[in-house]
Amino acid sequence: MISVQHFPVIAVMGLFLCAFLVEIFGAKNKFIRNTIVLIAAAGAFALIASLIKPVLLNGEIISYWMGNWEPVSGYAIGIGYEIDALNMFFALLVVTTILLAAIYSIKYMARDHHLGHYYTLFLMLSGSVLGLVLTGDIFNMFVMIEIMTFASVALTAFRNNKFGALEAGFKYLIIGSIGSSMTLAGIALLYAQCHTLNMAQISAALTNSLTPTTVLAFALMFAGFGVKSYIVPFHAPAAEAYMTAPTSISMVFSGMVNKAGVYGMIRLVYVIFRAMDLAPLQLILATFGTVTMFIGVTMALAQHDFKRLLAFHSISQIGYVITAIGLGTVLGLEAGLFHAMNHTLFKGLLFLTAGAVLYAAGTTDLDKLGGLSKKMPKTTVCFLIGAFSISGLPPFNGFASKWMIYQATYEKAATTGNFAYAFVTIVALVVSVMTLASFIKVTQAVFFGQLPENLKDVREVPLLMRVPMWIMSVLCVLSGVFYNVVEKYLLTPAANAAFNVTNYIDKMMGDGTAAAAGVTNITVDGATLSLWNPILWLVLFAIVLIAVCIVVLTGENTRGRVLAKTENDSEDGKYATFFGGEKSTHSHVAGSDLFWGFKHDFKGYFKFIQGMHSGVVSDYALWAVVATALIVVLMFVFVH
Amino acid sequence: MIIVNYVVAVLLLVLGLYAVCTQKNLIKVVLGLGIIDYGINLLIVSVGFNDGGTAPIFTISDLLNGISSNFFVDPVPQALTLTSIVIGACVDAMALALVIMIYRKYKTVNADEVRRIRG
Amino acid sequence: METITTILTNAFHVLVFPGLLFAAVVGLLLAGLDRKLLARMQRRIGPPLLQPFYDFFKLMGKETIIPHEANRKAFLIAPVLGFVSLIVMMLFIPIFGYSPFSTNADLIVILYLLTIPAVALIVGGSASGSPYAGIGISREMVTMMAYELPLVIVLLTVAKKVGGDELVFSMQKIGDWQAMNGLLISHWSLIPAAIAFLLVIPAEVGTQPFDVAEAETEICEGPLVEYSGAPLAMFKLNTAIKMFVMTALFTFLFLGGIDTGIIALNALIFVAICAVVTVLCMTLIHAITARLKIEHLFKFYWTFVSALAAISLILVWLGL
Repeated sequence: MISVQHFPVIAVMGLFLCAFLVEIFGAKNKFIRNTIVLIAAAGAFALIASLIKPVLLNGEIISYWMGNWEPVSGYAIGIGYEIDALNMFFALLVVTTILLAAIYSIKYMARDHHLGHYYTLFLMLSGSVLGLVLTGDIFNMFVMIEIMTFASVALTAFRNNKFGALEAGFKYLIIGSIGSSMTLAGIALLYAQCHTLNMAQISAALTNSLTPTTVLAFALMFAGFGVKSYIVPFHAPAAEAYMTAPTSISMVFSGMVNKAGVYGMIRLVYVIFRAMDLAPLQLILATFGTVTMFIGVTMALAQHDFKRLLAFHSISQIGYVITAIGLGTVLGLEAGLFHAMNHTLFKGLLFLTAGAVLYAAGTTDLDKLGGLSKKMPKTTVCFLIGAFSISGLPPFNGFASKWMIYQATYEKAATTGNFAYAFVTIVALVVSVMTLASFIKVTQAVFFGQLPENLKDVREVPLLMRVPMWIMSVLCVLSGVFYNVVEKYLLTPAANAAFNVTNYIDKMMGDGTAAAAGVTNITVDGATLSLWNPILWLVLFAIVLIAVCIVVLTGENTRGRVLAKTENDSEDGKYATFFGGEKSTHSHVAGSDLFWGFKHDFKGYFKFIQGMHSGVVSDYALWAVVATALIVVLMFVFVH
Repeated sequence: MIIVNYVVAVLLLVLGLYAVCTQKNLIKVVLGLGIIDYGINLLIVSVGFNDGGTAPIFTISDLLNGISSNFFVDPVPQALTLTSIVIGACVDAMALALVIMIYRKYKTVNADEVRRIRG
Repeated sequence: METITTILTNAFHVLVFPGLLFAAVVGLLLAGLDRKLLARMQRRIGPPLLQPFYDFFKLMGKETIIPHEANRKAFLIAPVLGFVSLIVMMLFIPIFGYSPFSTNADLIVILYLLTIPAVALIVGGSASGSPYAGIGISREMVTMMAYELPLVIVLLTVAKKVGGDELVFSMQKIGDWQAMNGLLISHWSLIPAAIAFLLVIPAEVGTQPFDVAEAETEICEGPLVEYSGAPLAMFKLNTAIKMFVMTALFTFLFLGGIDTGIIALNALIFVAICAVVTVLCMTLIHAITARLKIEHLFKFYWTFVSALAAISLILVWLGL
């Protein structure tokens, strides 16, 4: 029996191997192709899921040296994979997304050509992200980032006859490469200082010895991982790429790829540099997060395209995660991780419904759609669950994680006495309401309202596309209602792993290394929240029952008669919508017609911010460079 | 520690970033991307340099006979640089492929006109 | 045996006092009082005091017509959702010392639950498929965005004032603090916050001058245009209960701490103060103003009312 420590490598290598097998054997034959992809995705899922018991429940750390090159006299000479609870948390998100995206792609991409290439790139993307979150070696992480960038760019530009796909891919490549180059420069400088590439050893070597070289390395790597997580001002290519990529890939992007950036940032700040107790650094991260939140949601309110709107919301929610992580408290880190997990679930669900709409209706333009709930009722239900989750309405998962974030920020404000964190809480709450507004807009523009003439024969999407949507909806509801279970088994071990680095170092480099280097432990007790009272639920159900009975049973019941729609009824009948006595025309209130008052009041702001997103690649590169320079200066001034 | 290497590496990096940020022709932007990569490769190689050292190609018996550690240059940055050169080549190839397709579709390679998605 | 008693007690709390029956009766009474006094201010006789009760029962007996274009399930479920969330909210607001459910984070729960009735109205209007409803929900959403900001700031101010360094969100503790240190409104640094909250109440409830979402003359009742029969009765009931919930929140947050020891007397005083607050902030302003346009409404809330609330927050933060 293969020992459990080989599983991570087998999972990653399996995905890469199947990537090439798909192209060789499956280029022409649909059945072989789908089989190989599903086996790869399911296999990776099974292998990582079997690691839950040792890592999350028993608290072990799995380490694996490639080629069995163990460390020699305290120096790591091989590439090491190390899985602790933090890696495991992100790895679970990654494999779930891969599996659901693979199931969805089978039907969704069925109308495209060159599917062998598509699945190769898809499996390479999956393998590289899984490798990124599982590895313990910093240069391996960089190589995985590069493979991820490649595959992402090729997938963004996959449907190259679609509007804007090529330019989106190009901009993504340029900005992504700038980010990766910054990361590589940082790695080179770190190597110059520590002469090792293993993250555990670097962490031990950097205790209490921050030289200017390492501070510069920190700043450059921070900027590099910031580009990968698409915080403002690195966010512009992400908005375009999510819009033009095929929707199953958009779901992978928003579910896995920017979580990889978040993971990199947590690893960098919490584990390698252990710098999270510095107050200026917390403020810097909180500032980036707040600005990201606000700009993301205000840009989203002005969009006409369904997927671009969802992309900006992705950026805004990652702002929440970065703010929560940047607080440096246990509750903050747990809240950030929980929100990252919920974001994968509900944003993936929303992208899948957008894909369903695109597949069925052929367009994602909010001004051209309308009234689809009558033709696609199941998709509507999934969409509403996703929309209420992201807006943070109880009892879905967005509510629980956003509550934790508000509590974390306001507690931080109270304990440090710094008014800036109270301001962050207020902004977070206002952004939450604006998120709700944005999704009400999409609901009205796409699902409710009047059906346009050209969409009269839209049908519900195939079963294989609905199954991932259902699975994600159920997970959204479950992780919202049973958030206690999630916290105990997933969040607290992960936060523990991020704050207590001794075990991480010891496992890789041999016991005693951490103590010799002077690394100390912090006690992490689980954060306590009390949201629901079970007896309240019971009585609530009783009220709902009474209310439903009142509404449905009283008065004359017109159920039977409405179902028969005849020609006479549609114009002036009792069951037509009220038009004040005039002849009814198609007068659907579409996406751009909503929120007129809000857009009018913020005219100047919208003109400025939409002008800034000019679409020119040099502009986006300029923002990235200026932001990197700013980060470098800030780090030198405050972190030393 | 060769100072000139480091200075030139940073210079190349800055030049490459300048090219990406200000040039309007997409091919020049890709060239700038390449220059950034070369600058960083030079930086990585220079990190591993040991004064008076020779190329790090030895057999086990030579090493076990007790040669001092300063005798050869650090081989790890050389490996990193090779990986990075390959990655740079692939990125350039992909970027140029995208530029060719953009030219076919948009009939121009001016960045100011390749901006259908904006706002 | 224990669980049965607990279930029965909780059922009593939810269904009779201070839950469904109490909230509905007092809400409809307040709505009737509002209409009667408004008429008197406008030199009319006005409807009888119990008119909202008569309306409710009459609407219950009417036919429910669901238009072709509507999404049936969302159309029918929307009023129920709003109703349920309002009842739950009512359970968290103590009536002067009597609070059946009190947790550590009541204020945040209330803040969250306050968005649900508005969302229920929006979903119901959207589901009806009418263009009038489309414009109505757009305005309702912008109104919600407008008043959330000052509301959030006021609640955070109260939490900081009562807790000091520790931030108290529990309603029971707010009541206890007021019993010891005097009513919150008597602390001068919280008066701007109280005024801001009073100005938020008409927008939440949807009375003039902030009822642009349901402008009868322009968009025919907005989101409610296609509703009839029992769902419409439920929406009207929701509005009435919301009146009571908002004034109850104000009364407890700023004038809480009064406790005579007898529950019935407490409840009576509570309802009386709620009635006074209703007349003050809803009827009076309704009688003397016209309807604001949506962009003016938004600007009003995000400049004037938020500034008032922010002044209070800064004063409290500085320790005054």
